[in-house]
Amino acid sequence: MIVPFGHVLILAGILFLMGMFCAVTRRNLIMIVLGIEIMLNAASIVFVGAALRWHHLEGQVFVVFILAVAATEVSVGLALIVYAYLRTGSFDPGTYNLLK
Amino acid sequence: MTSALILDPTLLAAVLASLLPFVSFLLIMVFTREFPRLSAGLSIAAVTLSLICALFLLGRHWHLQSAIQYTGRWLVSGDISIPFGFLLDSTSLLMLALVAGISFLVQIYSLGYMAGDTGFARYYAFMSLFAWAMISLTISPTMLQLYIFWELVGLSSYLLIGFWYEKFSATEAGKKAFVMTRLGDVAFFLGLLLVLVYLGNLNVLEINNREVTVRMSPVVITTSALLIFGGIIGKSAQFPLLTWLPDAMEGPTPVSALLHSATMVAAGVYLFARLFPFFSLSPTAMTVFIIIGTISMLLASTMAMVSRDIKQVWAYSTISQLGFMIMGLAAGGFFAGVFHLTTHAGFKALLFLCSGVFIHQFETNDMYEIGQYGGRRLKIPMICIVIAGAALAGLPPFSGFFSKEMILAALADLKNPLWLIAGLLGAFLTAYYAFRLIFIVLFPKELETDQPPNHGAGHGHETYWIMAWTLIILAAITVILGFFQGSLESFLGGHRSVSANHGGGQHIWLPFMALGLALVGVALAWMEFGRQGAKQVGFVERIPPLNHLFANRWHIDRFYRGFLDIVIYGLISRMCTQNDNKVIDGSIHGLSKGTVETGRIVSFLHSGMVQYRLLVIFIVLVLLTVYFIF
Repeated sequence: MIVPFGHVLILAGILFLMGMFCAVTRRNLIMIVLGIEIMLNAASIVFVGAALRWHHLEGQVFVVFILAVAATEVSVGLALIVYAYLRTGSFDPGTYNLLK
Repeated sequence: MTSALILDPTLLAAVLASLLPFVSFLLIMVFTREFPRLSAGLSIAAVTLSLICALFLLGRHWHLQSAIQYTGRWLVSGDISIPFGFLLDSTSLLMLALVAGISFLVQIYSLGYMAGDTGFARYYAFMSLFAWAMISLTISPTMLQLYIFWELVGLSSYLLIGFWYEKFSATEAGKKAFVMTRLGDVAFFLGLLLVLVYLGNLNVLEINNREVTVRMSPVVITTSALLIFGGIIGKSAQFPLLTWLPDAMEGPTPVSALLHSATMVAAGVYLFARLFPFFSLSPTAMTVFIIIGTISMLLASTMAMVSRDIKQVWAYSTISQLGFMIMGLAAGGFFAGVFHLTTHAGFKALLFLCSGVFIHQFETNDMYEIGQYGGRRLKIPMICIVIAGAALAGLPPFSGFFSKEMILAALADLKNPLWLIAGLLGAFLTAYYAFRLIFIVLFPKELETDQPPNHGAGHGHETYWIMAWTLIILAAITVILGFFQGSLESFLGGHRSVSANHGGGQHIWLPFMALGLALVGVALAWMEFGRQGAKQVGFVERIPPLNHLFANRWHIDRFYRGFLDIVIYGLISRMCTQNDNKVIDGSIHGLSKGTVETGRIVSFLHSGMVQYRLLVIFIVLVLLTVYFIF
């Protein structure tokens, strides 16, 4: 392995944190979905690295699954966002505070 | 045990003498505060019975050979046992009779002096408290018990000095007295602890035993002697803790007569006499004692020479005479010191009480004004004050002459002539300032310039005669006490004094020298104050810098005020206040602020923002991973 597994994990961790930050801090519903996507990608990096580490190809198989799931989830999410926009007229998650 | 109490008259007398004033104090404070006459009656009855018991003890044990001690178990811890009880030997019996006698006379006198005062009952309560504390102090068998009553005496002094508490200067004076004596008592207690650690107990008889050198090395003995002397410095107003006594004259005159001339300040000298064998074991300590005694004696005499206030002159005189007594004791003259203590109690109380009659009559403390308003027309106080002044100056045949002679003889026996010279100088100055006051009152320059504000109502014949009879009794004692020197000396036992020679054989010239100096002092006072056409300005008062120095008490008070302001208030108080504000209050404040801020942050969860809840989910997940992995 050219890159030690620890470095892969660190990279994935940083990417995950950045994704979490994006999901928590941005004031736009679409950016929340984007953050989730980034977190999913970080998880798939770990899988690829693990597959290379233990020489089991199932890791990379799982990455394909993750991609599929991500795609589905984005479609559903966008549908939800469109519906939410039509109901409240805003993309800002701050206005969705009926459970205050 | 009760049967032992009743069957043994000595023990019964000792218990009654010490406890009856305490009972009177309690009764007055709790029950009879509104009934002044009943309170006075209770207090006087108690002190009369104490006096009878004291005289009974004195008479019964006149030929006492060794000390009688009654003790009961009190503090026991391992090897250390500190009992409570009574120690009756010649010194304590003599002092007991002295204290009870003077307390009795002063309380009778106070019937006249304090008549009509709103705090009459409270006054007698505190007088009883003082009588209890002082009597118990004199017959304490252990140093710890003595220390407890020492402090109680200080407390009653504070209460009585600040008796007229509406007057700010009186409360300040009481506070000053208490704090200064307390400072000395810290040293006293340290000395006691030292003795306790090395000797294992605090019994007076054991401390005075020669075997104490086995357990305590000379260095330890010297250190503990010096520390205990610190307490004596505080209580007996010696240099450098002497400025509280002139201020203590804010209290009523009978209080000054009882506490601050005859008994309480004499407690310091009594302690010296009590521990005389112990102190004699350390020549270094005795040298320090004689130095301090000399300095106090001379310093206070100079201050008395320029004072206008009649009570302050006697206050300085008390400091000076106590210094003289300490000089005598430190020179090895045990009987000389104790005898002078006894005679001094008599004539100093008499001086104060006579001054009290003048102050009561003319409502002023200033001796010039008392003279001008016609002080000499009050015959009995005038005659008594002359008798007492003569005793103070050391003129025969009064008691002061005999006791002063003994102390000077003890000083003459020392190798260094410096102490004797200082003693003779002190005798001269004493005669001078005593008769200065007497001549100013007796021969005023202008008689009756102004009619004094005479409060005729209520203070008439009876109060005057109550006070006058007390004066007559004390004057009689002053006249005849000197002739009891021989019998008192055998009573106290010649073996007590370390240097047991009287010096009467060697120093024939000494009585004449001392008498001559005293007469020179009287003559000088006569020249300046007494004779016809005298200017009534003393030789010291003509020198302004000296006058200024003496009148300001050698600036000792200024030094204390400066020390207080700079070191205590400026440094230590300020540090403690900062600590109190910033650290203690600050930490509590920070704690509360932190709690409030945390709440404010957490309250964001309630704002309904979706993303905050998302953040909380992530945080919990991280914490769970951490928990499960580690």
